[in-house]
Amino acid sequence: MSYRQKILKFKLIRSLSSLKITLVCLFLLYLLTLGGMVSQIHEGLYLAQQRYFESFVFLLFGFLPFPGAQAVMWVLLVNLVCVALTRFVYQWRRVGILIIHSGLLLFLVSAYLTLHQARESHLTLSEGQAANVSVAYHDWELAIWEAPLKEDSSLTDREVVSLDTNRFHPNQTIELVEQGFRISVKEFYKNCEAFSEQDSDAPLNASGITHLQSAALQKEPEKNKPGGVFSVTTGDQKTFDILLFGAETRPVTIKAGAKRYHAILRLKRFPLPFVLRLKDFRKEEHPGTTIARSFQSLVEVQPLEGKKFNAKAWREKLIAMNEPLRYKDFTLYQASFSVDESGQESSTLAVVQNAGRLMPYISTLVTVLGLVTHFSMMAVHSRKNTTNRKRHD
Amino acid sequence: MIKKNILAAVVCACLLIPGGIFKSAMISADEFCPLDSLKPRKVKSLDSLKRVPVLHQGRIKPFETYSKNILLQFSGREHYQKESACEWMARFLFAPRTTSDDKIFIVNHPEILEALKIGPQKNRRYSFRQLDSGFEKLKVLVDVSQGIAEKNQSIVDKELIRVYENLLLYIRLSGAFGFAIPHPDFTFPNNEIVNELQLPPHPGRSYSFFDILEKSEKLRQLAQSLDKKDQTNWSTEEKNAANIISTLLFWTDHYADCPLGIIPTKDQANEEWMSPMDTIIDNFFDPVYHDEVENLRDMTLNYWDGSQLEFDLAVRAFTDSVLKYASAKEQKAIGKIPLELFYNRLNLFLWAKFFYAVGFMLFLCSLLFEQNRMYRPALMATVLGFCPHLLAMMLRILIMSRPPVSNLFETFIFVGVISVVLGFILEAVNKNWLGLVVSNSCGLILLLIAGKFSTEGDTMQMLVAVLNSNFWLSTHVLAITTGYAGCCVAGIMGHIYILQALSNSVETKNRLEITHNNMLGILGFGLTMAFLGTTLGGIWADQSWGRFWGWDPKENGALMIVLWAAIVFHARIAKIVNPLGVAVGCILALMNVVWAWFGVNLLSVGLHSYGFTSGIANTLIAYFLMEVLFISISVFILGQKKIKF
Repeated sequence: MSYRQKILKFKLIRSLSSLKITLVCLFLLYLLTLGGMVSQIHEGLYLAQQRYFESFVFLLFGFLPFPGAQAVMWVLLVNLVCVALTRFVYQWRRVGILIIHSGLLLFLVSAYLTLHQARESHLTLSEGQAANVSVAYHDWELAIWEAPLKEDSSLTDREVVSLDTNRFHPNQTIELVEQGFRISVKEFYKNCEAFSEQDSDAPLNASGITHLQSAALQKEPEKNKPGGVFSVTTGDQKTFDILLFGAETRPVTIKAGAKRYHAILRLKRFPLPFVLRLKDFRKEEHPGTTIARSFQSLVEVQPLEGKKFNAKAWREKLIAMNEPLRYKDFTLYQASFSVDESGQESSTLAVVQNAGRLMPYISTLVTVLGLVTHFSMMAVHSRKNTTNRKRHD
Repeated sequence: MIKKNILAAVVCACLLIPGGIFKSAMISADEFCPLDSLKPRKVKSLDSLKRVPVLHQGRIKPFETYSKNILLQFSGREHYQKESACEWMARFLFAPRTTSDDKIFIVNHPEILEALKIGPQKNRRYSFRQLDSGFEKLKVLVDVSQGIAEKNQSIVDKELIRVYENLLLYIRLSGAFGFAIPHPDFTFPNNEIVNELQLPPHPGRSYSFFDILEKSEKLRQLAQSLDKKDQTNWSTEEKNAANIISTLLFWTDHYADCPLGIIPTKDQANEEWMSPMDTIIDNFFDPVYHDEVENLRDMTLNYWDGSQLEFDLAVRAFTDSVLKYASAKEQKAIGKIPLELFYNRLNLFLWAKFFYAVGFMLFLCSLLFEQNRMYRPALMATVLGFCPHLLAMMLRILIMSRPPVSNLFETFIFVGVISVVLGFILEAVNKNWLGLVVSNSCGLILLLIAGKFSTEGDTMQMLVAVLNSNFWLSTHVLAITTGYAGCCVAGIMGHIYILQALSNSVETKNRLEITHNNMLGILGFGLTMAFLGTTLGGIWADQSWGRFWGWDPKENGALMIVLWAAIVFHARIAKIVNPLGVAVGCILALMNVVWAWFGVNLLSVGLHSYGFTSGIANTLIAYFLMEVLFISISVFILGQKKIKF
């Protein structure tokens, strides 16, 4: 008995390899694409993408459960594997089909990798400025660090504890052993408005905010301003409340024993394995118009091995539209720019970290190769058939 | 504005003078040439003017194309009554007053006319004089509309802004050659000033801004001592000089920043081109610029006199000088002007459309009469239609030095070419009219659609930064549009298949099978190219934004085509659909293409003007309804006939 016959004994595999499943899945994907496209008008790209494409199941029109694209793609993956085990004809005349579908398999894998692996952030630098952290677009963190005894601008490093706000839920308690205090979440809103009223019992806040009110999520997730009230219990069992709001620029100061700590809600920071300095930003327009012809950022890069940093060892690189800077898994793109009132130019670079970056390239190559092979073989085959038939006639 | 020249010195002297007494001189400076009682004699031929380079929307183009673009922008047409765009534009620039009653401004929305209290007209086109009567009101309304964020602007807001901007452009352009024409501001009651400034005698003592500016050295001498004296002690001479100087000052201010880029700067790095007046303000005493402006002045005067030879000589002298001082890059662009004029003159698309139509007619005749006699003429007509079509595309590639597809208009031309080629291949394989019908119908329909889109303005625009990449334009864009072409042809063949089935003649069965096989082949080709194009688009996006796929509407549209074609193939293999079903699937694939092509643009409102968008939405809906109707009726009839596929 061949492997195939053994496999065919499993009824589950046999029914999972049905072409009807493929058809239904393809059609669902088609509908989802259309739906996700049209709903972008009202919901915005981010929400539509989460709802239609990244979810397993969602409610259509608010009541009808509908499979999300992620679920459909998992089914397609299983279906494809089962078909490969049971139905594919492994012969030369079918080689095109085989190549096409292995390419598509790669696509599904790379989609999975990108969904769980890729991290997008950005980095805005004024001319002359340097940085080695990038900032998330819309993920927030609660950052806590020890307040320096006196303000010292030459201080370049500081240890920051950051807590991912996406996982916050009421009554959650986080123990900060090293700092010697405990934080528990009393209220947390992904988007809220801040108010200030006369209130002696108000929680501790640096900008005079006394309470927060939950607000609906924005169409553009960048516009959400999270906030929360947290209760802090220090080592000597003192308990007090602090209030943090995303739009604040000043941190709240927490006294724990002899030490003082700053806490703030901010967009997530990601360390980069290199320092980047913007030397010059250039913008060109087509003469006599406001149509942009090119944007370019001239930057200098220096890899960071441990904490070593050489003030002279910069490597120059020009980042332009369609010409990003690549460094290990990181890719930096020209995204936007701004000019302030004093004429100081700053450039925003999109930072993408994606280990599976090359996967779609390979998948594309394989699938297209398969398509070309298959359809040319079909064409030749059908030509032969017609000539043969004519001869018979 | 006014820089380091003698005029500036003169003007500076005057700035010390209290301005009050000169007001009388300022008011009379009119927007237009005052000689409205006179009609220019006009030169007969504008062939020399046609090839004058103009920098417009970032591109150096011949005056002829520029005129067409401007007139299209104003009126949505490429000619005004019996005048060509070039003739109208020449009349407008050299003798602006003669155009103030020309009905050239298209106003699409009746609400605007109501607001401006202008009676609606049948062809929706209005003259400057009509609209000017409501200009103040228009300005107030536009201020309100412009205060609204672009996303939230209504159709009326957008149309208001468009009309207002066109009027402003008209006003600003109308002063472009004012410097050359005698004007009341410089018309003197007696010979006093004429003699003082040593001006050449002139009928009516009427001079132009240019004539007076030539004498600025003399004026400077006269005005030298003005600031030291008290106004009351000024002599008549000095008063006259001060008056003229203040008028000159007013003119330089009033006509500055004219959007007619016709004089390149000598500075090689500066890509901006200047209008005559701005050149005068900045560099009048530089001999090169001075001569160029003088040439333009001569052009204007000779246009008025109707002296063809002198006009041509002035144009030639001007063009030679422009070419001489332009940078190497600009010279290259100017060098392409003859090619573009050649392209403009040939009217290639018209010929292509004509021959495609003839080919299609011959096919229809072949249905009625004997088939074989019509075959060769039809083949000839298709080839004759294809030649100008292809030639036009090649010329555009040469003129713009970039791949054939970079805007919506060009997609139709390119998809047309590919569809016709696919048709030829089908014909070469089958020799049974199928390919010819495909070629002629695709070519004709796509060129007709392209014609609609060419009224948007210049079809050879410059590209924004992210698109400005010849590599990706020639890989991704060509692949995806070729995919469009494949699916379009498959869709047309789907129609043909159903029509053949309906006709139900003796040899139907065999013929249907051929159509079916070919249709599958073409759909496969379409799927391959659409897939390649879509994923190449992803790679381009990865290169420029760092993500392969972002569920952007345009990406989704392309993905839908790919998914649909895949559905058709799988449904066929699963034996869920018969050949008739495949034909319907192909028609639906065509509808998908139409959706990805036009529908997606409708989602992101704001890319196109009102007239275009609402018109296209209705056409799109009508098209979809017709397809649905066609499919359901024919499937119903075929079901009744109980034909086995």
